[in-house]
Amino acid sequence: MAKEKRQIKMPYEKRKAMYGYGFIALWLVGALIWFLYPLANSLMYSFMEVKPEKGGMKGTWVGLDNYIYVFTGDANYSKYLVNVLIETLWKTPLIIIFSLFIAVILNQKFKGRTFARAVFFLPVIIATGPVYSIINGNISSSGASSAGQFSTMFSTDLMGELFQFIGLYGINENIQKMVEAVSNNIFGIVWNAGIQILIFLAALQNIPVSAKEAAQMEGATAWEYFWKITLPYVSPMILACLIFTVIDSFTSPDNAVMGRVLDMQKDWQYGYAAAMAWIYFIIVLAAVGLITVILNHFIYYEVD
Amino acid sequence: MTAIFKKKQEPAAEGEHIVGNGLSKKQIRQIHMRNMNKEEIAYLKRKEAMDKVWPIARFFILFGLCFIILYPLIYMISCAFRAQEDMSDPTVMWIPRHLTLKILKQTMNAMDFWHTLANTLFLNIGCSLVQVVTCAVTGYGFARFKFKGKNLLFGIVLMMILVPNQIIAIPQYMEFRYCLGIQPLIEKANPTLAQKFNLIDSPLTMYLPALMANGIRAGLMIFIFRQFFKGLPKELEDAAYLDGCGPFRTFIQVMVPNAASSFLTVFLFSVVWYWNDYYVSSTFFTNNSTIALMLKNLNTLLSLELFNSATVEVSPREQIIWMEAGCLLSVTPLLVMYTFLQKYFTEGIERSGLVG
Repeated sequence: MAKEKRQIKMPYEKRKAMYGYGFIALWLVGALIWFLYPLANSLMYSFMEVKPEKGGMKGTWVGLDNYIYVFTGDANYSKYLVNVLIETLWKTPLIIIFSLFIAVILNQKFKGRTFARAVFFLPVIIATGPVYSIINGNISSSGASSAGQFSTMFSTDLMGELFQFIGLYGINENIQKMVEAVSNNIFGIVWNAGIQILIFLAALQNIPVSAKEAAQMEGATAWEYFWKITLPYVSPMILACLIFTVIDSFTSPDNAVMGRVLDMQKDWQYGYAAAMAWIYFIIVLAAVGLITVILNHFIYYEVD
Repeated sequence: MTAIFKKKQEPAAEGEHIVGNGLSKKQIRQIHMRNMNKEEIAYLKRKEAMDKVWPIARFFILFGLCFIILYPLIYMISCAFRAQEDMSDPTVMWIPRHLTLKILKQTMNAMDFWHTLANTLFLNIGCSLVQVVTCAVTGYGFARFKFKGKNLLFGIVLMMILVPNQIIAIPQYMEFRYCLGIQPLIEKANPTLAQKFNLIDSPLTMYLPALMANGIRAGLMIFIFRQFFKGLPKELEDAAYLDGCGPFRTFIQVMVPNAASSFLTVFLFSVVWYWNDYYVSSTFFTNNSTIALMLKNLNTLLSLELFNSATVEVSPREQIIWMEAGCLLSVTPLLVMYTFLQKYFTEGIERSGLVG
């Protein structure tokens, strides 16, 4: 009781700030031990030639040598890096649009909705693990399994043929290219959109009934409803999903750059691997920072 | 018919009374239509057409995409129960000619399945539970309190999301191996006691970071909780504060019940991430196995189990059945949990819809 009384004398704002520190204290201690210290260590390794030794790592200072070698001595690194960046750039918007679309559909009422939801969330529980790389390998490597049939089904120019069949010749080439990109990579997109669908669906469920009723009374079409009601309400989650998607594709162990870093670690070249990882990380950081700054202008928070 | 004409004079607002008079829905609609202008009728007609076409389009979209998702799973089941010779039989596509449990049993032996499963569950559920609680507390702190350096500290959370595990894995290994540098100090005095301070292979390598909201993908979980709590109306807490409730009690008694659905969602994520992780566990575990690790090494394990040597080659085409059986084994527990939780899960999402 005595403690409480003393706290009451503190100004309200300051007391609340103290509680704020209280809420994050456990995490802060953890972050110092399990995150910041290792991070600083790894940054140090990237300027060193490192050898494991009893009781810790022993390193000799080599300055920027590791970083210089990444760009001049390693032919593969730059190539992998560009590939990964380009792939992330076009795949991320596709995944976001696709998952929002699916979430809106799954939020409607129809027979078999529970089943459909269950199926669409299924990749969530599989896609991050080793099972996915086995499945994915099966599907993309032709001839190794009868799944080869499946891969040809999705990798041939099915959409192009469909357009020809319907008789659509003169449509915009860019649109056609986009449709083809979606259809040819549909497996990767569907399998990587599980969590995004989940987050969007939760956000859709949180749209207040009053907003929905108001829109209905005014006679909003589904199209108008989507742009004027749905999108603003889910916009905070778009940012979350976007960041998640970018990080997911940047840090997955299947990613070529990450694979290269791991190979170097297996070769005991910790210093060099750390330098590669840091260059990569700074690029990712810049990309995500840019996205956040741009998107924060468009986000609508109900309470701020 | 005369009855309808009589009703026509009545204003449209009293439409509810007509329902009671035993008119069919079609008749009621006709009455409503008479009172509408052209624009309203066009809107209704468009809506009607959409209501008829959309379900069919929706069915095709969903059916096609569901097939893409379910295909690998169906293939897994189909492969796991077939005999080796079925793999090279071109007439076998989905339904195996020889149904057998042999492959499944061999894979289970190679993975030491039950023992590994128990170990994985112990790590998985425990760490996830602990981490969901600690991350929620942290996320709430960031969402609702103003304090000095908050932006900087939240920057660290974002860094935790951004920094790939691969960067910090080796320094972390050193921390666990030498117990934060305590072990070398003890070793001089007492070498046998120092052995116990090697945390590699111990479940503590997973539990300690989780306990401090720093486990696998903790940054993302904090971020999700922060976004979620920020979206809840502030009036909830203000009411509690006015009634003399302290921040910690407000969090437990007011915010947590409101956040139940989000807790479930994040818990599900966390269980899955721990289950699927093989990078972190392969760094810290050499003898202590999880299902994901076993599956990653299944190739070598199988050669050892079946032919007593790691070098015998089976044609890659025939290897697939063991791999698929292994996939099936490691996915099944998750699927069971998922189907069980699915019910609570969608309910949780819907309930939170009422709150908002």
